[in-house]
Amino acid sequence: MTDKDTKKSGKQGEDEMTVVVPPPKNKQNSAQPPNDADGDIAMEDDTKAGEVEAQVDPVAQTISDIKSNFALLDRAVALFDPRFSLRALRSISSIRKRLTPDILAQVVSETFSASSPNTQVAEHLLLAVDRPNVTLGSSSDMEIDSGSKSPAKNGGKKDPKEVIPEIDIFLGILAQVHLYDTKQFQRGFALSRFLSERIQSLNRRTLDSLSAKVYFYFSLFAEQLAPLPPSPQSPIVSIRPILLAALRTAVLRKDIDTQASVIVLLLRNYLLTSHISQADLLVQHTQFPENAANNQVARFLYYLGRVRAIQLRYTEAHEHLTAATRKAPSSACALGFSQTATKLLLVVELLMGDIPDRAIFRQLTMEATLHPYFLLVRAVRVGNLEDFETTIAQHADTFRRDGTYSLILRLRQNVIKTGIRMMSLSYSRISLRDICIRLHLGSEESAEYIVAKAIRDGVIEATLDRERGFMKSKEVGDVYATSEPAEAFHDRIRACLALHDESVKAMRFPMNQHRLELKNAQEARERERDLAKEIQEGDLDEDDLGGDFEGI
Amino acid sequence: MAERQLTQILTQLQTSASSLSYTDSSALLSKAKLLLLQLNALTPTAPGSASNPSLFSLARQVYEQGALASIRAKNPDAFLRYVSQLQGFYELESTVGTGAAGGRIAGADANREEKNKVTGLYLLLLLTQGQYAEFHSELEALSTRLGGATRELEADRYLGYPIKLERWLMEGSYDRVWKAMKKGEVPCEEYGVFSEILTFQIRSEIASSSERAYPSLPISSTKSLLFLESEGEVVEFARSRGWVLKDGHIYFPSAEPTTEEAGAEQEKPFSRLIIENTLGYARELETIV
Repeated sequence: MTDKDTKKSGKQGEDEMTVVVPPPKNKQNSAQPPNDADGDIAMEDDTKAGEVEAQVDPVAQTISDIKSNFALLDRAVALFDPRFSLRALRSISSIRKRLTPDILAQVVSETFSASSPNTQVAEHLLLAVDRPNVTLGSSSDMEIDSGSKSPAKNGGKKDPKEVIPEIDIFLGILAQVHLYDTKQFQRGFALSRFLSERIQSLNRRTLDSLSAKVYFYFSLFAEQLAPLPPSPQSPIVSIRPILLAALRTAVLRKDIDTQASVIVLLLRNYLLTSHISQADLLVQHTQFPENAANNQVARFLYYLGRVRAIQLRYTEAHEHLTAATRKAPSSACALGFSQTATKLLLVVELLMGDIPDRAIFRQLTMEATLHPYFLLVRAVRVGNLEDFETTIAQHADTFRRDGTYSLILRLRQNVIKTGIRMMSLSYSRISLRDICIRLHLGSEESAEYIVAKAIRDGVIEATLDRERGFMKSKEVGDVYATSEPAEAFHDRIRACLALHDESVKAMRFPMNQHRLELKNAQEARERERDLAKEIQEGDLDEDDLGGDFEGI
Repeated sequence: MAERQLTQILTQLQTSASSLSYTDSSALLSKAKLLLLQLNALTPTAPGSASNPSLFSLARQVYEQGALASIRAKNPDAFLRYVSQLQGFYELESTVGTGAAGGRIAGADANREEKNKVTGLYLLLLLTQGQYAEFHSELEALSTRLGGATRELEADRYLGYPIKLERWLMEGSYDRVWKAMKKGEVPCEEYGVFSEILTFQIRSEIASSSERAYPSLPISSTKSLLFLESEGEVVEFARSRGWVLKDGHIYFPSAEPTTEEAGAEQEKPFSRLIIENTLGYARELETIV
């Protein structure tokens, strides 16, 4: 939340800046006295003026930043290396704070010439940023203007060449980001629809990582539109066919980026409207690409864990969620994700009958958000049904918002079981009436049935005596006499080894490096041979030498 | 024309629901479905298109009656079929509800009662068939559709019933389940159909937990424990589970020796397991170093 706020305020600041700055650009491009021209306002901001001058006009800076990415995209296409487009995408986060409709419009108008075949795209982009009457084909003075400020970069590059589709999709993504930040969801939705259609029509492998991004924002927009998600007529339902089609194409084209991100989006989509069985079917019938980007894997695991938790398959859910929390990026920007995943993980752990580690609640970034869950864990650990009920009642809204409420309601039986276990540990013999009173159960009969079930489920080792109405605990064996510690040990070692294997797999090895090594080895061998030859030839000498020594 | 005929059939189905035999009602239903087909309303179409809302709700009611009739006839397959047909109607219904708003609210309330009835029955069916995963998925969907108002869900007469039953079954408070099934607690007669299955289910649950929990049980108290009518039934039930009756007490064939044997069997592979594990570690270490 706060993150978003600061972003917004930052944006507003940028807006003001652009309002102040343009006039000097249009009047004179010598760039010398820009703020003095506005004289009356700027009088006392001498320092500020100096600053602006020093760091160049922010608009021009942003524009040149955007354009520098075009070069990356060009290279990505030329060298067929997706790493360059990824790098371009990564720069979006730094550009996004400085984007304004004017900047986008300017870039679009400079990039597309009026005669190029894909002016349609440009028109859509301009429409989206609400600058429909900017003429294409770059008003020349602007170009000179920006050219003079960052002369090296975009001088001769764009005129001779066609604009490659990667660039217009990239600009489309920028427009999407901007519209999302300024909350123009309807417009963004329309633009995204257009972009996704365009991506479908183009068949270019170099577009893969970009199209994944486009779909991502597409579904984000859909989520924000009028009838919000839980209602079945929300637009997210209507984009399902598009996403499914995209998934199909992506699978056929072995487009891993899009595949991964669309699967994740679909899962999220289904879960938002609680179509659990559909989500389950989707998971069953698709294969999540193995070498997808880490973030997508984390998201996928989280949603999968959620589905499994609802289906009462706690062990699987636990596995997926643990992996998700581990894979979550540790930087502050993904804090929300790891918090949400941790919450769900905690509930699942409780449902499995485990008590989460206290250290989890002590992490600085988690402490506040996890507080309700902390109370919950405490109630479950002690087996206090009363505390449990009050915690639920108090934090019901929080739990509902986190989507864990219905899972937490299932915990009731666990609380009871823990309560019974505590009692069986502390008393060797206790009457059913006492159990009933301590655990606030309805009646003695209930208590009897519950205890009997607990015994059958292996929660406690005890026997019941019906005639005299008490529970008699058996002696508890020593855990260390069983195979339990060995199993725990084995599990941990396996986890460590798996971690090692994964990190080895994750390493990137430079191409053709082994040839170099081979060459080195060859050389080394030759040298050795030479050496051997020399030794052979100098055999006599050595013997002589040896002889000499002996002689001495 | 066809529409009026349909309404007639529907009222006939609704008013004399319990007295009609299954064959009669299914004949009526298939006639109704034919009429729906003629009106092109067999499947739900998006609101706002040509189909008028009255036809939409007529079709839905036909399916609802069909679902209830098949439950009365203890035909779970037919019921499931009707439920899946209804699912589409319910999904679209909320769209119609918000779209038309205003005057249809009273009608929507009546609709909801039937809808909750059928959904509740569906939940109960899932519960008795032991499909807990589906049960919870459905529940999750329901609570989201109501905007996360789980309390409301539980307060509902029809929906709250299976939810409570599930909770008690999970907890092990079988006596409450038992009470809920007797004493006119059942929300409507269709729900009663499941009582028999549920009784059987909890009885076997209780029996299996008793086998582990009690060393022995007096026959007299077993009667109340298992919710059986007479001691004769107790004896019969005990025979069917292979329990030993002696001096008015029931002794359970102890499961101890079998588990011990299993333990002894496990003992051997256990040391082997450790050796295997250790060898595995050694091999892995070899690859790392």
